[in-house]
Amino acid sequence: MAAEQERAAEAVERVEKELRHLQKQTRQRRPNPPIWWSYHSVRQYLHALKIWVWSCILELSWIHWIVFQVQNMLLRILQVGPVPRHVSFIMDGNRRYAKSLNLPTKSGHEAGAWTLLSLLASCKNLGVKTVSAYAFSIENFNRPREEVELLTSMLAEKLDEVARRALDRESELFGVRVRVVGERSLISKALNDKITHVERMTEASDSMVLYVCFPYTSRNEIYHAVYDAAERCKYHGQPVEDIDVENFTNSMFLGNYSNKCDILIRTSGHTRLSDYMLWQVHENGVVEFTNTLWPDFGFIEFFIMLVKWSFLTCLQRRQLANTPLRSQVFNLLKKNLLPFKHKKVSYEDLPEPPQAVSIILRG
Amino acid sequence: MSKIQDTVLKRQDENWREDERDHRRVRAITNGVKNPGRPSVGNVKKVLETAVLVGSDSEEVRRKLAQHRETGSWAQGRVEYAFYKILLSMLLVAYACVRYAQYEYNRVKILVLNLAYNPSNTPQLIRQDVLKLPKLPKRLAAILETKPDGDVGGGVGGVLNDGSELVAWSVSAGIKHLILYDHDGHLKRNVDDFRSNVFHKLSKFYDPSNVPKFAVRVPQWNKVYFNTPGTETGEARKVAIEISLLSNRDGRETIIDLTKTMAELCAHNEMKLSDITMKLIDSELTQLVGHEPDLLLYFGPSLDLQGFPPWHIRLTEFYWEQDNDQVTYAVFIRGLKKYASCKVNVGK
Repeated sequence: MAAEQERAAEAVERVEKELRHLQKQTRQRRPNPPIWWSYHSVRQYLHALKIWVWSCILELSWIHWIVFQVQNMLLRILQVGPVPRHVSFIMDGNRRYAKSLNLPTKSGHEAGAWTLLSLLASCKNLGVKTVSAYAFSIENFNRPREEVELLTSMLAEKLDEVARRALDRESELFGVRVRVVGERSLISKALNDKITHVERMTEASDSMVLYVCFPYTSRNEIYHAVYDAAERCKYHGQPVEDIDVENFTNSMFLGNYSNKCDILIRTSGHTRLSDYMLWQVHENGVVEFTNTLWPDFGFIEFFIMLVKWSFLTCLQRRQLANTPLRSQVFNLLKKNLLPFKHKKVSYEDLPEPPQAVSIILRG
Repeated sequence: MSKIQDTVLKRQDENWREDERDHRRVRAITNGVKNPGRPSVGNVKKVLETAVLVGSDSEEVRRKLAQHRETGSWAQGRVEYAFYKILLSMLLVAYACVRYAQYEYNRVKILVLNLAYNPSNTPQLIRQDVLKLPKLPKRLAAILETKPDGDVGGGVGGVLNDGSELVAWSVSAGIKHLILYDHDGHLKRNVDDFRSNVFHKLSKFYDPSNVPKFAVRVPQWNKVYFNTPGTETGEARKVAIEISLLSNRDGRETIIDLTKTMAELCAHNEMKLSDITMKLIDSELTQLVGHEPDLLLYFGPSLDLQGFPPWHIRLTEFYWEQDNDQVTYAVFIRGLKKYASCKVNVGK
């Protein structure tokens, strides 16, 4: 028992170290003073300053330790209530973030990737079964070529990183299964092989599935499901009448999780879905829009969304449940034990009314 | 490919009268039967009851409890569990308090907005509001909701009234295509009532002897109705607005019907598998349901798509007013303003 506790403590320490390392990777330089008479410039400066001050504070190890412990505690509290099954992110705003800090586009995407990793750890701690992220849309191929290449190479790099952590027993991401879904025929063969390799490596794990949507659009997903259904009918002898919403949904990219996305979070203020998770969200999913840019999207904001979800889910479960035990018992008692029974009245049993007399005919 | 269309339409026709959907469907958690975004004491009590009494979803928590039971430290596990449950309920109560303040703030805001934007049946005012905007959506969609029968503006009559009001505003704003969605298809099933309702509303806005012409389209039955029942003669004249009525039936189920039809054609070798493309599906669904709207207005407390056709919300901009529960002009015009200010860059 003691040895086990010691090991657990050691693991926690490791995780901390890793997080600190992560923090260092995204470390900021002190921003240059702004042009004081330009409102826009001052705002940018304040934003950069805030990030810089925070990164300085978090560098002190004991503060970092406290923050980490508090986060874990909060998640453990939420864990005993309802927990979402499928959380999805639209990671929008990386480029604007980089622009606002006067950094190259690459570091914006880099910062975004780190945000995703740390949120993944939170989801894993909470016990979410599926997380999906919109990494690249098919339409994104319209972007400048350098950026497309940058994003593709970054995906390969980050997949390696996630796979390493998923296999590392001491990492907070241990046991994550990685899957890359989307129109895979559009990406190069080398990358495809690499992705397949990573998927194979993490195949055995089952505590959480991470779906990276790369190059993905929801219409494409629906199209593939239609095509597959037709193919099954033609070549595998499935009767046409057997196609229904349920098995159609299950044949989509996300398998059993295709039916519903519990929370879809879209950052950076646009209120549209941009061809993402249309099928999953349009029935009764919750979509949260926030004005924060993706790299700024932190634990606190995520946590507040989770609390809100938890609150509303509890309420709905209570409303959907049949009459609770307590009121059943109460009704039973009221019916059988208490003396004031509600008698059934029959019209014939009533005494005769007095004689009816009209005014007009009197006299 | 009109064959595909015909078959799908036939399939759709078979079971359109199922109207028990509303009782069967699970609503989004933000949009229950009674407004869940409004934290009354009763609601909080219900939340706490579930939060405390119902076990956790998380496998890890359950595993830990079982582990404690096995190792004999049953009490320790239970106490820890109870401790976290108490903290959870405190957290939820705190959230409810914050939410209450937020709710009251939003309601006051909506009241003020409703005072500020009140066209009171005057098309000139609406047109003036719209003229300030740089652009308008070509197709506007709105999700309407049936309220409980006893409420003000509740029942089917309420939906018809809300729908016709929206038509009048859209005509005045100069929008040519309006899509009205209601989950159960009340509008569709009462299409004659709806048409006369629209006519009445429009004759309040405009000169009753020269009411703008309108066409009502029901894609599910592939039918178009002109003006009020009995006055269909003016077909030749250009209509001011085209209204499409959609329901839940046009969503997932239409896609499934399309799939079935295509699968059947493929199986009978009347169509090649390689003929199924995104483009074909898109054109078929455009024929069967309609075009994708540019702006979707929702008049409930927090966005809930209620099964709006999934293929058709690809780039649609959403607008709703937090904690609002009525179909008001303020939401309509603010939605148009939002659309005018937003920039769409597909992928770039």
